[in-house]
Amino acid sequence: MDMDMDMDMDTKKKCTRFFINDNMDVLIEILKRLDEKSIGVAACVCRLWCALTRNDALWEHLCFRQLSPPREGVRTVVAALGGYRRLYTLCVKPVLTRLGKRKDMWTTHEVDLSLSLFCVDYYERLFLAGAATPPSSLIFLCKAG
Amino acid sequence: MKRELTNHDNFSSSCSSSSKPPMWLCDADDELFAVLGYSVKPSDMADVAQKIEHLEQVMCSVENDGLSQLASDTTHYNPSDLFSWLESMISGLNPTPDFDSAVNRMAVDSDFGSDLTAIPGKAVYPNPRAKPPSPAKKLKLSPQETESSESIVMVDSQENGIRLVHSLMACAEAVQKEDFKLAEALVKNIGFLAVSQAGAMRKVATYFAEALARRIYRLYPDSAFTDLLQMHFYETCPYLKFAHFTANQAILESFAGRDLVHVVDFSMKQGMQWPPLLQALALRPGGPPRFRLTAVGPPSTDNTDQLKEIGRKLGQLANSINVEFEYRGLVTNSLADLTAALLERREGETVAVNSIFDLHPLLARPGAIETVLRVVTELKPEIFTVVEQEANHNGSVFSDRFTEALHYYSTLFDSLESCGGGSDEDRVMSEIYLGRQICNVVACEGADRVERHETLGQWRRRLGAAGFEAVHIGSNAHKQASMLLELFGGGDGYRVEERHGCLMLGWHTRPLVATSAWRLAS
Repeated sequence: MDMDMDMDMDTKKKCTRFFINDNMDVLIEILKRLDEKSIGVAACVCRLWCALTRNDALWEHLCFRQLSPPREGVRTVVAALGGYRRLYTLCVKPVLTRLGKRKDMWTTHEVDLSLSLFCVDYYERLFLAGAATPPSSLIFLCKAG
Repeated sequence: MKRELTNHDNFSSSCSSSSKPPMWLCDADDELFAVLGYSVKPSDMADVAQKIEHLEQVMCSVENDGLSQLASDTTHYNPSDLFSWLESMISGLNPTPDFDSAVNRMAVDSDFGSDLTAIPGKAVYPNPRAKPPSPAKKLKLSPQETESSESIVMVDSQENGIRLVHSLMACAEAVQKEDFKLAEALVKNIGFLAVSQAGAMRKVATYFAEALARRIYRLYPDSAFTDLLQMHFYETCPYLKFAHFTANQAILESFAGRDLVHVVDFSMKQGMQWPPLLQALALRPGGPPRFRLTAVGPPSTDNTDQLKEIGRKLGQLANSINVEFEYRGLVTNSLADLTAALLERREGETVAVNSIFDLHPLLARPGAIETVLRVVTELKPEIFTVVEQEANHNGSVFSDRFTEALHYYSTLFDSLESCGGGSDEDRVMSEIYLGRQICNVVACEGADRVERHETLGQWRRRLGAAGFEAVHIGSNAHKQASMLLELFGGGDGYRVEERHGCLMLGWHTRPLVATSAWRLAS
């Protein structure tokens, strides 16, 4: 009888609970596959998740996931202009919504256009640094069509 | 209830024939109305009845916009006092024209012949041709009441729209023939007719009327804050963005494989064109070239060195994306004062010259355009990008110029009305920006008239004569431009068209802006 109880204890120890926060690589892989809304929800779960969702790599994936090998150098440029999260929120999402396209139909033209608009916004912010008025070159994207 | 068209006299006499109430009822409110909650004096009853009828007619003929404005903007005080409430409703739907107030009081008394007959006071022309009356089409003349300054004027928008255009043309003809008395009289009435319209037509007509008035009275416009206005124009509608993106694409393609590039920009303004080009160069396969920018601009109105400031910011941007950047600002009052030596072409560099709406002002001075084109050829550019308005506003006959401009700016204002970019403030500023152009085309002459737009065909001849041949702008530019326009909304109103290798941006069927690229003919 004692031997049986010992064995149960052993198997119990072996079946320790899988805690996702201890396996960040898996967590990141999962988060990478979410859409923007779900990432927003995930950010509210706990501090760790919130920090992870702020990671630009996640947003890079969201922006250019459907495109085959990402062009080299894009990452440095985007990082310099404000990061992928900003690129997504300011340009990619409105462009996609306006053009009524699903992300899997994205081509380099949409990428180029979004990057150009993103660059104009960065430049405008440089110009208006400290001024009360916010940059407005992208307002046409926000206005209802 | 239908009323026949009456003239001024008949109406006055019909007014006075309404019956008057007995004296002993004069002061107290009418009992029957009082029961319903309205306070109407018996002495006012005839007027109240009249006003209710007027209001009913006005509400039929006013467009939808006027009604919702009534609901939200007009302040109603004490609706139980019917007499004054009706007055406020009617004046809410028919605001007095905001044209020059002195003009309002003057009577138009000359007979112009044709189908326009003058009526004294604030009124619009009755239709001399017999037309079957319909509920919406009613014309009434205001009774000349001495105590009230409110005129009740019902207008038929559509007919007045046509009259408005005719009046504008007639006024231009009169100015052309230098019959300034006639022109003056016409321009005053254009103001009233303009107010009867709504939306883009009203705005365009008002600007053209102002420009005509300025020409007649020789009050020339000032040109302050143009840069600021152009920024708002940049935000609101796609024309400038289209110009920048298409020119950039042509320049990018011409820079393929080159390591040392030099852009000469005649239209620096705020430098909004260059960030996307810098970014595209940074990302091109093989890495970015060494980039040099020579910016040409007029002297700043305030004491800052604006060109230098812009260069600094562009340098900051170039730095963050690792593009080697060199900048030089050249301040000059006119492009014709430039020389090739000043622009300093260096050995081994690939040059691109860029002009966005900056060639047409040169046509105001004889010889200027030829000088500038010669200087450009001396730079031996790989590409010369030119963006200009697609219209002929440089004809020698004033009335033809006027008609062209009227059509062009009407289309432009229509597009502004429909597209969504920018706030309301942006839109108003853009309209002022365009209004300035209208003023210049119509009111100025000689060296002052700088908005001398010409069509692509005309530019093709000029550039051909100077030794340039057209470079076809590729399909990438077309795709990018089409996508950009989709983003602007406007529901398919914007069209990108390719014509002989040049890209035209238009509103519905009318092309408004043309981008073309040129190189030296071999």
